[in-house]
Amino acid sequence: MGHAIVVRGLSKQFRRYHPDRPRTLQEACLHGFRRRGLTEHFWALHDVSFSIAPGRMVGVIGANGAGKSTLLRLIGGVGRPDAGHVEVRGRIGALLSLGAGFHHDLTGRENVYVNGVITGLTRREVAQRFDAIVAFAELQEFIDNPMRTYSTGMQIRLAFAIAVHVEPEILLIDEVLSVGDMAFGRKCIERIAQFKAQGCTIILVSHGMTLLGELCDEALWLHTGRLAAYGPTDVVVSQYVAAVDAETQQSTAAAPQQQQ
Amino acid sequence: MTVSLLARSFRSTAIAAGVLSRAHRVGYVRDLLFVLVSRDMKLRYKRSILGILWTLLNPLAQLLTLSFMFRTVLPLDIPRYTSFLFCGLLVWTWFQASLSQATVTIVENSELIKRPGFPTAILPTVTVTSHLVHFLIALPVLWLFLVLDGSRVTSAMLALPLVMALQFIWTLSLAYLLATFYVTFRDTQYLLGVVLQLLFYLTPVFYDASAIPARYQLLYGLNPMVHLLNAYRAILLRGELPEPLWSLLVLGLLAIGLLIFSYGHFTRVSYRFVEEV
Repeated sequence: MGHAIVVRGLSKQFRRYHPDRPRTLQEACLHGFRRRGLTEHFWALHDVSFSIAPGRMVGVIGANGAGKSTLLRLIGGVGRPDAGHVEVRGRIGALLSLGAGFHHDLTGRENVYVNGVITGLTRREVAQRFDAIVAFAELQEFIDNPMRTYSTGMQIRLAFAIAVHVEPEILLIDEVLSVGDMAFGRKCIERIAQFKAQGCTIILVSHGMTLLGELCDEALWLHTGRLAAYGPTDVVVSQYVAAVDAETQQSTAAAPQQQQ
Repeated sequence: MTVSLLARSFRSTAIAAGVLSRAHRVGYVRDLLFVLVSRDMKLRYKRSILGILWTLLNPLAQLLTLSFMFRTVLPLDIPRYTSFLFCGLLVWTWFQASLSQATVTIVENSELIKRPGFPTAILPTVTVTSHLVHFLIALPVLWLFLVLDGSRVTSAMLALPLVMALQFIWTLSLAYLLATFYVTFRDTQYLLGVVLQLLFYLTPVFYDASAIPARYQLLYGLNPMVHLLNAYRAILLRGELPEPLWSLLVLGLLAIGLLIFSYGHFTRVSYRFVEEV
């Protein structure tokens, strides 16, 4: 039995743009196409390796900018790693960004079709699932209104509903679920648990440690682009919490006026 | 014996699976093209009273101005000038609108290209196809002008889809180049605006290509739109096959060559788009 996701030596470098970098042809010509400003690089991910067995649920934790979203994107095949590789076995369902490719001038119905097909369904498959998607998102009354009249929470509900109705074998969820209201949040969690029971492999980015503790088999801690820890959720979460506590204490202690 | 049988059945299953997924992939790309083109259409006509008529309004307004200009103010003495001009305008609009929109399509659809599994390379094709649909919507009006001007429908009309396919490939190959360029250099669209305006006068939209003096013809002929428009007019206005046919053949081969190059270039650099937009 192989793994559902294998990540080996994954590294991704981003350029930190110099303010002088040419953004237009005119500037590029004036600078004589010198590649100035492109020298500074930083590693968004550096030599990250792990593997996830089918049907496991992994929570990704870490500070903002630690590389969590970059990791999820690379697993989803968006962008190309600078080193290492990702192997994914199975159909991917993903919820990576708030906008989720919705167009504000189209109605909810039209957006479901566009989005469903983008996610990997054929038009007929979307038509078959349409009622179920709308019912899950609880948007029956609003589905023929233009998207611009939807609240952010409503948009996320619809996006989540589409993502779970493509019957993914691998589900990638970036910290977007917190946007929906409590009732819907619970519904999502129930649905995620159901998926897990069916053998779906799930990666979830979240800052909600209790949620992760309840749902995830394993946790993966990213610290400035490196894999800090990967193991049973309670162990990794407590390590992470301890590290954050220590850091907070240090930075508070460092402020002189706070010292007695 | 058993082992080889097993191996064979395993291989055939694998092949069947491969074929299935390829067939599914083709169906998926077709459906994606369909929903994205119809999205373009809907977005264009949403919140507008005239709806689909907007497609016609622009070329008709140009038709009115230019035909007043070159029939009354500076007479060009081209027979059946209304259909002559409208044919030119429709063909030019398809070309020009496709390129302008394809240039910005990657940046405008930055949300889409960040979705796992989304084939970024479909976006320029969607744009050129959308404008092909506009062209097809306006085609009956052109036919109306042709009938009113007394043009005959001949079997040469069968060559029309071929010429359209040729224009599609040309436009598409340029669209891929421009889309790639725009991601790095955002003033590509202003530069393109200037170039398209120049090209409008260097393409026989409102005048006949034969009006160009012989010593400039060779240089003038470097613009592929010249040959395309001549071919359209031969078929639609005169009911003849375009002459010389070899020039269209050369054009077709060049277009395919350019498309292979620009599409290849696009797919080589497209993984960077996610970071640049």
